[in-house]
Formats: sequence, C-alpha cells, structure tokens
Amino acid sequence: MSSLMAAAGVSVPSTFSGVAEGLTVVVLLSEFAMLRAPLSRSQIRLYAFQSLTVTALAAYVAAAKHVPDLYILAGLSLALKVIIVPAVVLRLLRDARVELVASNRASVASMTLLAIVLAVFGIFVIGTLPVRSHSLPTAAFSLAGAVVLVAFVLVILRADVVSQAVGFFSLENGVSVASLVVAAGLPLVVEVAFLFDLLVAVVVFGVLMRVHHSRTATLSTDILDRLKG
Amino acid sequence: VAAGPVLDPHLTQVFQVLTIFVFAPGVSGAIAHVEARLQGRRGPRVLQPYYDLAKLFRKETLVPEDASWVFLAAPVLAFTCYLIVPLLIPELTTYGLPLGYMGDILGGGFLLALAGFSVALAAAETNAPYAQLGSSRAMTFSALIEPSILFVTFAVALITTTDLPYAEAAASRASFASAIRPAHLLAVVAFFLVVLQDTGRIPVETHTSTLEFGMIDEARTLEHSGPALALLKWGSNMKQLILYVLLLNVFATPWGLAGSGRAGAVGLAVVIFIGKALGVGVLFTLIDNSFSKLRLFKITEFMAAAFLLAVLSVLVLFVGGGG
Repeated sequence: MSSLMAAAGVSVPSTFSGVAEGLTVVVLLSEFAMLRAPLSRSQIRLYAFQSLTVTALAAYVAAAKHVPDLYILAGLSLALKVIIVPAVVLRLLRDARVELVASNRASVASMTLLAIVLAVFGIFVIGTLPVRSHSLPTAAFSLAGAVVLVAFVLVILRADVVSQAVGFFSLENGVSVASLVVAAGLPLVVEVAFLFDLLVAVVVFGVLMRVHHSRTATLSTDILDRLKG
Repeated sequence: VAAGPVLDPHLTQVFQVLTIFVFAPGVSGAIAHVEARLQGRRGPRVLQPYYDLAKLFRKETLVPEDASWVFLAAPVLAFTCYLIVPLLIPELTTYGLPLGYMGDILGGGFLLALAGFSVALAAAETNAPYAQLGSSRAMTFSALIEPSILFVTFAVALITTTDLPYAEAAASRASFASAIRPAHLLAVVAFFLVVLQDTGRIPVETHTSTLEFGMIDEARTLEHSGPALALLKWGSNMKQLILYVLLLNVFATPWGLAGSGRAGAVGLAVVIFIGKALGVGVLFTLIDNSFSKLRLFKITEFMAAAFLLAVLSVLVLFVGGGG
C-alpha cells in the first residue's frame, strides 16, 4: 500500500490516460445514476448516455492508439446501443403506459452505499489481476469490473422489469469497456458477437416486459413473490 | 504584473484577511441581486448587506431568559474563527505566507467546525423550538457531509503527499494533465457539492426562505438580535467567501494568484479572486433557480452522491497508481 501511495503522490497520468480514465469514470457514475433514477424513462436515457460514453471511449482509443477496427465497433455501438436499443425499450414502455414504478427494495442512500462497497470490492479485486494493457490504463479495467457489480445491484434491488433489462444492458457496457482494456485488437468478430448477444437480450426482455405487463398490468416484479390461489 | 513595491509578507497576509472581511457582504449582496434578476424581481442593492449590518450594529441586544453567556460569546467566537481561516489558505498568493503553514486542511476544517459548533451551541441554549431544531439539523447534516470532506482530504493527501491547501493548488496548476486527471475532477465536483451544502443552497436548503420548517442553518440565528446577529450574518458571509476560496483557489481554478509580493500583483489577485467568486456565485444562483429543494429526508441522497464522488476520487488514485 505504501508503494502505491508513493506512486500516486509523484506521478501524474498522461493526458491520454487521464481522458480515458475520465470516460470510464463517467460510465461508472451513470451506472450509479441509473440506480437512483426514479423514472424508468430516465433510466433508459441514462443507458443511452452511458453507451454514448462507451462509444466515445472506443473512438478515442481508436484515434489515439491507431486501431482502425475500433472505429467499426464505435459505429456499431453508436447505432445499436445509443439509438436502436433505447428507442425500442422506450417504445415498449410507451405501450405499457406505466409512468412510475415504485420499485426500490431499499432507500436510495443505502442502495448507493451498498453499491459503493461493492464497487470498492470490485476495483480492488480486479486491480490485483496482473493485466497490463497497451491500449488503456489498467484503472479502466478495475472500473469496468465495478460497473458490472453495480449493474448487479441495480438488477437485484430495483424490483421492476425495466430496471432488470437496463441493468443487464448496462452490464454489457461494462463488459465492453473491459474488453477494450484486455484486448483492443480483439478480433472484430468477437466484439460483434457481444453486440449480437445484446440484440438477443433486447428481444428476450421485450417479450418479458410485454408478457409481464399483459398478465399483471404493472411493470413491478414485487407481485411475483406472492402465492397464487 | 510586477509593478509596484514589494509588500511585506505579513502585510500581504493581512490583506488576505481584509479581503474576506471587507468583500464578503458585498459578494453576498451581488449574488442576491443576480438571483433576484433571474427571478424577474428588481432585487436589493448590491450594497444592501452593508446597510443591514450597519443597522443591526446600532440596535440593542436582546437575550432569551434561559440563555447564559455562551449565547453572546458564540457569535464572537465564530467570527474570530472566520477571521483566522484566511491566514491558512491560498487566497491571494501562490506561495505560503508567514503564518500560512500554521495549520493544514484539518486545521482550517477544525476552525470552520468550531465556528459552526459554537453557533449551534448558542442556538441550542435558547430554549426556543425553531432555533433548537435548526441547531440539531445543522449538526446532523454537517456530520453526514463529513465523510465526503474526509475523502476529499484523502484524495489531496494521495495527490500531493501532504495535507496543505497550497500544495494541492500547486499540484493542480502544474500541468494540463494534472488539471484534468479524473481523481482531481472528481474531488472538485465532490467539494462543489460540499460547498453547496455548507452555504445552505438548493437542493439542501432555500437560503432566502422564511419558512421555519425547511430551515437548517438559517434557523440557528432566529433568537439573536442586534450586534450579535450582525456578527453572525457577517460571519456567514465570510464563511461563504472562505469556502469559495477553497473551491476556486485550491481545487477548481487555482490560477490568477500573485506569484510575487509586489503590490500590483497582489492587487490584481484581489480583483481576479472577487471576479471568480462572483462567477461561482452566479453558478450557484443558476442551480438555485433550476432545481427544487430536496425534502429533508431526501437530503441523504445528496450526501450519498457527494460521498460517491469523493470515494471514487480516492479509488481511482489507488488503482491507477497515478490516475
């Protein structure tokens, strides 16, 4: 720990890693914002914003490290995750005509504190992995791990279908950031397969939302705890 | 600007205190004026706070029956604390003045906390329900914001390996990369939220409200009158300007300070600082006018947000090794 402190005290990161880490921090912060957003609609907009940040990160790495493949990834994620997926989910939501789902299983402050604890855990655990990347600072990898864990908190502690869908989608954003760190030159096929996975998930969650809403007339999943009869 | 004779460092230090002492009510007046304009009102004169203070100093002091000497001593103690803090912070100069290293961030924080505590103690003594309510709320919320302040201090310690405000200002001034490092930006935003809370601004408190149920800081002074109230009001104006110094000259924009002790440079630093303070004051009024006040029990959400930013700042420093 002391060596870490000494290193932190002396060295200033380069502008590149400063910007890249900054963007990753924005991805993590928008995950926290989704956790507390009261309206399903604002959650989806936050997801679009988070995806836009991931896109910007991919484009920035592509430009700064001369990895042209990443431009294709950035373009695909811009089209899919920033525009199409949020538009589809917003459309589903409009059909459902549910404005506000009271879905917090804990107060916002406690959810945030729990998520902070998990994020700290994730950051330190992943920080100990001996992964050194030439494309992105290692801190981005740890932060991506934190994004995944906070997404789990979102899925578990918000009891409505939209939060679970958005939590799953944003988890994929965390994985994209992690994959940018681990292998910026990852074969494009693998990256596109990730995105395709996301499309499948959108279809599944779309069906789930529709079926759930048509059966229970609500988007809250609290009702599923009760016994029938 | 290197014009004019070189001032004695002690004299420069006196100027730091005088700048806060003299301009604090004026800055508050200017902010109140802008705020009124934004709401479509004509608003008070910029110099109105000075007239208010002059009027209060001429009035008699009334003391509640149950109150002891603490009630009258507290405003003086708080005012004294606010006069000492400007000695410790980089207000006009980039380099530490003779008494500048007398206390670090914790020392300055202790003085500010002592001032807040003494005012809360005086309010608790009055046996008046609203003053006591304000006193207990103010202490509760200042305890809740404390973790964020601590983590910002940790971030400063990790960045500079000291806990001196001068070192943090110098570190963020050093290069473009160090001004935009995520850890620094997160600490800036976290401290911005802390200042928002400490100066009693929306979303935590409506500082112009006359409704006692929504009051936090304002309710503490309800029982004071005359010169004691004047000192409290002046003190709270000075506290606001001191917090602006910390936000602007230590964290957000540590530029435009005098690099030498020449009279011209110090004078220019005063002008630039007041300009920056008015700028951030306008930013606060914009926030005041665009958001609604949080319900009292929702304020913890605001605190959680500030804490999150401060914790992330420290975390990024740890995992990045230099993030």
